[in-house]
Amino acid sequence: MHKIIIYFAFILLFIPKTFCQELIELKLPETDKITIKLMFKNGSVSDPKGKEGLTYLTANLITSGGTENRSYNQIQEIVYPMAADFRTSVDKEVTVFTFNVHKDFLEDFYPILKELIMQPSFAEKDYRRVKLNQQNYIDQIIRSSSDEEYSKKALEDFLFRGTRYQHMVQGKSESLKSVSLDDVKSHYENSFTRNNLLIGIAGNFPDDFPERLKDDMQDFPNTIPALPDIKEPNVPDGINVEIVSKNNAFGSAIFMGFPIDITRANDDFAALMIANSYLGEHRKSYGVLYNKLRTTRSMNYGDYSYIEWFDGGGYNSQPPSGFPRSLNYFSIWIRPVQIAKQLKLQYPELSDIKTGHAHFSIRMALREVEKLIKDGLSQKDFEDTREFLRSYIKLYVQEPEERLGYLMDSRFYGRKDFINELYVLLANQTLEDVNNAIKKYWQVDNIYITIITDESEVEELAKSIEGNLTSPVSYSNLVKEGLPLEVLNEDDIIVNYKINIKSVSIINSEDTFSK
Amino acid sequence: MKHSFITALLVIVSILNITTLCHPNDDILPNPIYQHKMPNGLNVVTVPFESTDIAAFYLVVRVGSRNEIEEGVTGFAHFFEHMMFRGTDKYSKEKYDELLKLIGATSNAYTSNDKTVYHIVGNADKLELMFEIESDRFQNLNYSIHDFKTEAGAVKGEYTKNISDPYGQLEEKIKMTAFTDHTYRHTTMGFFEDVVNMPNQYDYSLKFFKRFYKPEYCTIIVVGDVAPKEVNSLAEKYFGEWERGDYTSDIPVEPYQTEKRCIHLQNASIPPYLSLNFKGPAFSDSEIDVPTLKVIASILFSKRSEIYRKLVVEENKLRRLYCYIPTSRDPDLIEINATVVNREDLQYVKDEIMKTIDKIKSKSLDDKLIKEAVSNIKYRFAMRIDNPGTVAGSLAHYVSLTGDPESLNRLYALYDNINSDDIVNIANKYFMDNGLTIATISSEESELLK
Repeated sequence: MHKIIIYFAFILLFIPKTFCQELIELKLPETDKITIKLMFKNGSVSDPKGKEGLTYLTANLITSGGTENRSYNQIQEIVYPMAADFRTSVDKEVTVFTFNVHKDFLEDFYPILKELIMQPSFAEKDYRRVKLNQQNYIDQIIRSSSDEEYSKKALEDFLFRGTRYQHMVQGKSESLKSVSLDDVKSHYENSFTRNNLLIGIAGNFPDDFPERLKDDMQDFPNTIPALPDIKEPNVPDGINVEIVSKNNAFGSAIFMGFPIDITRANDDFAALMIANSYLGEHRKSYGVLYNKLRTTRSMNYGDYSYIEWFDGGGYNSQPPSGFPRSLNYFSIWIRPVQIAKQLKLQYPELSDIKTGHAHFSIRMALREVEKLIKDGLSQKDFEDTREFLRSYIKLYVQEPEERLGYLMDSRFYGRKDFINELYVLLANQTLEDVNNAIKKYWQVDNIYITIITDESEVEELAKSIEGNLTSPVSYSNLVKEGLPLEVLNEDDIIVNYKINIKSVSIINSEDTFSK
Repeated sequence: MKHSFITALLVIVSILNITTLCHPNDDILPNPIYQHKMPNGLNVVTVPFESTDIAAFYLVVRVGSRNEIEEGVTGFAHFFEHMMFRGTDKYSKEKYDELLKLIGATSNAYTSNDKTVYHIVGNADKLELMFEIESDRFQNLNYSIHDFKTEAGAVKGEYTKNISDPYGQLEEKIKMTAFTDHTYRHTTMGFFEDVVNMPNQYDYSLKFFKRFYKPEYCTIIVVGDVAPKEVNSLAEKYFGEWERGDYTSDIPVEPYQTEKRCIHLQNASIPPYLSLNFKGPAFSDSEIDVPTLKVIASILFSKRSEIYRKLVVEENKLRRLYCYIPTSRDPDLIEINATVVNREDLQYVKDEIMKTIDKIKSKSLDDKLIKEAVSNIKYRFAMRIDNPGTVAGSLAHYVSLTGDPESLNRLYALYDNINSDDIVNIANKYFMDNGLTIATISSEESELLK
């Protein structure tokens, strides 16, 4: 704990407090698209207490509302033939406005861009419309559309409880209701200033354009935004589980994690990245977790691990830019596994099971992490994974817009060009570096776990986890009859693998993200 | 065709003063498409595209849920996509994964109505290895019965993941209601009972591989820092011996729909939802139906449209409004989807949408508006194709529809000729009450919309 505090003090000292109006220029003559990004060091951590969701609402009103000169409808009419698009992304510590336009229309579109960002009207009716959708996301959409996305947001709520990182960027059900239009106006004035702005442009733009853009952005207020006090995350004591009970869930979606004091700013990050890629590279079939749970045991659609936030994991193959954070946590994502109700429906031979695969899969994932801590990677696994990553990271920046985004994120971490620097850092890693990093940053005794599951599964699952009870793996006869002995033997160990369970609590879905 | 594009361009520029997207070769895709048809029927497509030494290798099989014509095997095209990752005698799954890792690429696959696409995007200097491992599994796939049964569990897991979304549940219902005979009646995942029964279909899986994983069903597309000569010679080296097959699917024809159909999903946990589904056309790169419908969709339902302004911006009756025009091999559904704020407004919203459609059936639209819509559609696409993966993915789609990647350029060329009479004719042809399936979600047990 003490070590974590010292580390974060270090981070705050060495990461620039503001971006100081720097402009990142990425000239790409071969592309016709021009991307302009404005990154403000102002994310949901800047939301005042009781007004969570304010930054998200303010930012979205800018790109989904009118300006002092033009209504929302008039703007849509102007940009329509250009097919120009603009959108907002809000994360914990930054807000990014992205504008894409074809080079044929740069001069026509630029005045609109300036108006949107510097002269938003914050009209009452735009405010009502945008807020209505944001409220609905919190009250209904997150709970009912994707259980795996729900499990990730629920874990952040658990892991960062009581800190500014806790709430979803959209806010909480009650807090958003208390955000007024005046709050939005004042937040815009105080938190979107030229002193926390980083400007980026990519594409085939005229040579003098970046200077114009930079000059124009000087019109933002010169105030110094108050930097929120970002507390370190909660350090779990034992393994703490929250089971979210949901009406009519088809499986158990699981996300678990614990804080790690490392970011892209640290050179150690490359070593941990190799370890993580070996354990559970996102959407890859060669991670250990994927192989054990999906390929061999047929338990779900995929299983991955992370050493930083990965936004939109359900649809993004590579980590998107625009989500730099100074607080990270190690996490394991187990996509929905079968519940007892569904297995019984499908296989008569499983008619007497009490729970589905959730408890077993948690045990199996943690045991794999423990094995890695103890044994480390082999020389071959290390070399293969390192070479894979040195090539694979190029794909993070395959799209020009992402190349720009990654360069801008690099600044957040005090780096110039993270991908290029990482390429070199990866080459310099040794097996010892990687295995030391695993020992330094990973453990299996103190973890937060969230499980979104059906109400029919909750009680028995809670009992099973809380009591560290045997969790038999419920294979159908079809699968079981062909499993090799070594798999069955390994299962015998896993079903009784003890985890350091401290607490299990059950929450009704309707009570999540409420206050 | 290209001559008419230039004529249209001059007219637009001189009369309406609208900037028009124009590449030196007039095509929407500025890069040339090189095609090499091999004697065994395999088509090899190369598009040189400047990037950071990246090559996107896409292998399109023109088989999808559309081809699932037999009882009890819906969802099989998708399931088989999974089996393709289970190894061969030469490269076991573990070895295949190891090689993929060596390439440092992203690799995956997807299945839809009309196609199964396998893709690897990675370093261009690893292109030969991409060819080698893909040619091996496409010709020599070999998996055990146990692996087959195990993979069926993963597919069930994918079904579980998807079906947790109520909109996924509604999609299933819409297809089952709107189609009675055609295989678009089921989703790519397949009917639930067939997904459950998949572990028992090992023998059928062997038959499936023999039928469809043949060169005449396949096209290789390579986009990036590559040269056609190199790509063609690798294709000959690794796929030249692949033997042609002889199977063709007899896809049932959907009978003409004679009356409006309705379905409803009771769910109080998400906002009320209205989906109007009209029977649309099959894709064609020579008929104006699909591009004209896309222009209509843009004019009537985009954020710039009158109804969007009214129902979303001014009255706050809707949270979202979207119209989707299908590009499928056979006639598919035109969807108009509206996320409603209050359940009581479902009827009002439906009436407003129908009024909007009825208006363009009789009244000619302003030419300027049509040109603006065409500009929007073309520039939107032009801005999207900024990397090898996206270009290869787009071409894969058009290959799946017609077998020819040039369909992409031909489709976009058609837009320049669309006029206000076309709009009236096409609107009358497809937006018909008897071709409509109305789907709703609300907290109520049923919704009876007029």
